[in-house]
Amino acid sequence: MNKLKENPFVKKVGINRIMLVLVLLLMYLFFCIVTKWKFLGLSRLVSSLNYAYFLGFLSLGVTFVIATGGIDFSIGPVMFCCSLISGYCLKSYGVPMGAALALAVGVGLLFGIFNGFLVSYLSVAPFIVSMASMNIAKGLASVFTKTQSVSWPQLAEGGWYRQLVKIGNVPVGLFILLFIALICGILMGKTKTGRYILCLGSNSEAARLSGINVKKYCMLAYVICGVLVGIASIFFVGAYTTVQPGYGDQYNNEAIAGAVMGGTSMAGGVASIAGTVLGVFVISLLQEGILAMGFTKDYQLILTGIIVIVAVYIDIAARRRKN
Amino acid sequence: MPGNLLEMHHITKIFPGVKALDDVHFTLREGEIHAIAGENGAGKSTFIKVLAGVHQPEGGEIILDGEKVVMSDPIVAQKYGIAAIHQHAASYPDLSVAENIFIGHEFMTGPFINWKKANAEAKKLLESVGANINPKASVGSLSVAQQQLVEIAKALSQNARILIMDEPTAALSKQESEDLYNIARRLRDKGCAIILISHRFEDIFNLADRVTVFRDAKYVGTWDMEKDHVDSAMLVHNMVGHDIAAYYPERHPNIGEEVLRVEHLSRTGFFRDVSLSLRAGEIVGLTGLVGAGRTELAETVFGIAQASEGEVYMFGKKCTNSTPEQMMKMGLSLLPEDRHKQGLLLPWSICNNITLPVLEDMKKGAFLSTAKEKEVGDKYHKELRVRAPSSETLADTLSGGNQQKVVIAKQLAASSKIIILDEPTKGVDVGSKAQIYEIMAELASQGIAVLMISSEMPEVMNMSDRIYVMSEGHMTAEFDAKGLTQNQILAAAMPQERGN
Repeated sequence: MNKLKENPFVKKVGINRIMLVLVLLLMYLFFCIVTKWKFLGLSRLVSSLNYAYFLGFLSLGVTFVIATGGIDFSIGPVMFCCSLISGYCLKSYGVPMGAALALAVGVGLLFGIFNGFLVSYLSVAPFIVSMASMNIAKGLASVFTKTQSVSWPQLAEGGWYRQLVKIGNVPVGLFILLFIALICGILMGKTKTGRYILCLGSNSEAARLSGINVKKYCMLAYVICGVLVGIASIFFVGAYTTVQPGYGDQYNNEAIAGAVMGGTSMAGGVASIAGTVLGVFVISLLQEGILAMGFTKDYQLILTGIIVIVAVYIDIAARRRKN
Repeated sequence: MPGNLLEMHHITKIFPGVKALDDVHFTLREGEIHAIAGENGAGKSTFIKVLAGVHQPEGGEIILDGEKVVMSDPIVAQKYGIAAIHQHAASYPDLSVAENIFIGHEFMTGPFINWKKANAEAKKLLESVGANINPKASVGSLSVAQQQLVEIAKALSQNARILIMDEPTAALSKQESEDLYNIARRLRDKGCAIILISHRFEDIFNLADRVTVFRDAKYVGTWDMEKDHVDSAMLVHNMVGHDIAAYYPERHPNIGEEVLRVEHLSRTGFFRDVSLSLRAGEIVGLTGLVGAGRTELAETVFGIAQASEGEVYMFGKKCTNSTPEQMMKMGLSLLPEDRHKQGLLLPWSICNNITLPVLEDMKKGAFLSTAKEKEVGDKYHKELRVRAPSSETLADTLSGGNQQKVVIAKQLAASSKIIILDEPTKGVDVGSKAQIYEIMAELASQGIAVLMISSEMPEVMNMSDRIYVMSEGHMTAEFDAKGLTQNQILAAAMPQERGN
């Protein structure tokens, strides 16, 4: 095992990410076998990808927040809030499609600014801030839509936004997700901004004494998260068209699980964008697999809960061993 | 001659990839103070942890009162009467003194804690170590020295027969150290055996009856302080393995223009009306007792805290209450006293730590260049002789002295023109200390102004060109370092009646 860890290829890619790829392949094989190869078809894969898109953007967003040592439990409901408000404007006020999409991202951005400002400039605990803005997002969306669900237009009704997810059988969404993940990866690993965000999570006192504007970069992480949540909302409606106010909580855990499984430390300071993407694929495949096996969505909730605990425990155990 | 209370033979402890202890011996007699000396990384802490049951040794035996024992975990060690007082006091700052002392063995009346008895007993214990501390006060509100006394009282409350003191005076002023020496002697005379770990030779010469030296995880020897005429040269020789020719480097100060001026600076509650100046190429010592306001002054100059009155000028430009970011851009940097909490990113590599303040210069286009970072990291890794396989090594695997070098490297990389060093050699071993002095001298010769905050008289007197002394938030004296005696400094550092 130690020898394997010293291998230059393994060292570069990271043992954690290699394991995740293996887990993905094994899971796929497992689901294929237990469903007597019904899982093999394209439709299951497409459906699992549909889930991976919006979850992927959420998870990318929350990765930045976790990297600072913070947490955001509002991402799921905020995502719903984005697609509800913009969808309602689209349907009831005749706002053009392009503007509605921009509005969706804008609402996410506003929530990011709100959360970030409270956490960094007013020093309110991230846990409290995000719990509160989760409620605000849910309530705001309900008030705005008069507690009605909103259906975005189908492709035939001028809903070209659905082509962001797929055109025919081409998974456009996958390319967009990977492209934005690449940007996030470069931002996190290759720029000053990313390095500063990570160093906040590692030791914010040392960061401050190194002359870094701690508040600014902390806020920035939440703002980036907000924008990505806004993008997630577009891909949610792009895949499912209909959104109902008052929901969205379950995606918090799944997005956080994706990030943590990918090697982002809940203690902050360590993050992996590639890992997050792989983690999200594992979770989306899992949810599709569970449905394919004939279980209800509730079982998936139980499993995600367990996954979060196991992933966080592995992270803690790894750090404890080092000490 | 009293018998051996504790014998440890052939102790070997292996961590993945490193032998932390290699066939080490130690004996402790009843009623003696036995010092363990060695450089950082020599294995002192690991050894103590083996004795305290924190680590299980791969080999060797522990004999207590002539019987072989196994310290399977810290609770077992506690039952055998072994108590440790740690460098970073492991107390609960929000709980009261009495709560801290009796945590884990509270006085119970039925299902309830008998606070009356706890407070009374706590007071008795504290008085027995000569401390007048209110048992109801919260530990966080006490000074470091007082917190240490609480730790000692806690050890006594567990009927400790063997007391381990790990760097007990690291955060104490001269007077507080003296008080602690007296307490330690009193405990010894009562029959408590004390194991003392300290980087301060003063502690060892003042207290120890015998000394054992470790080097590179191996046992070097044990000497009787009096009979074997142990002196510092001999200790250093055994700790380092060779003589250190000149402990303090020779300097030819080439002093230039004034670069930093502080005028009548005050921060309510911490210091008042403090003025000082610093010139290029000069090393200025700032000393005083712990709590005199030195660290707070440095933080205020650097912009971490706000001044309530007065001005700070750098290179003739007014920069009072700027942010640390602005101060660093102008060329000032601060090496904080607590490098764990304030200086280092432990899970990061040496290289990434060093380049943190200068990421702007590490860019190639819009992106950070790994090659550029590695170049800077390697440069300082080599120049400052950081003992690590490469600049990719993670900071948390380094010894204290080497961590300190990384923090200094970080400021050098930031091409600072003025450097404030807050207790730069605190908790650092002899070999690294000499290197840090050398680095300081080298910086000054390059025209960098160095303000060194230190409680260690020898380094203040030997390194500085000028010396400022603070006492209770006031600047009480400014000396030319030539021909100065320690007593002059101490006189200025002592608290006295002042009309304010």
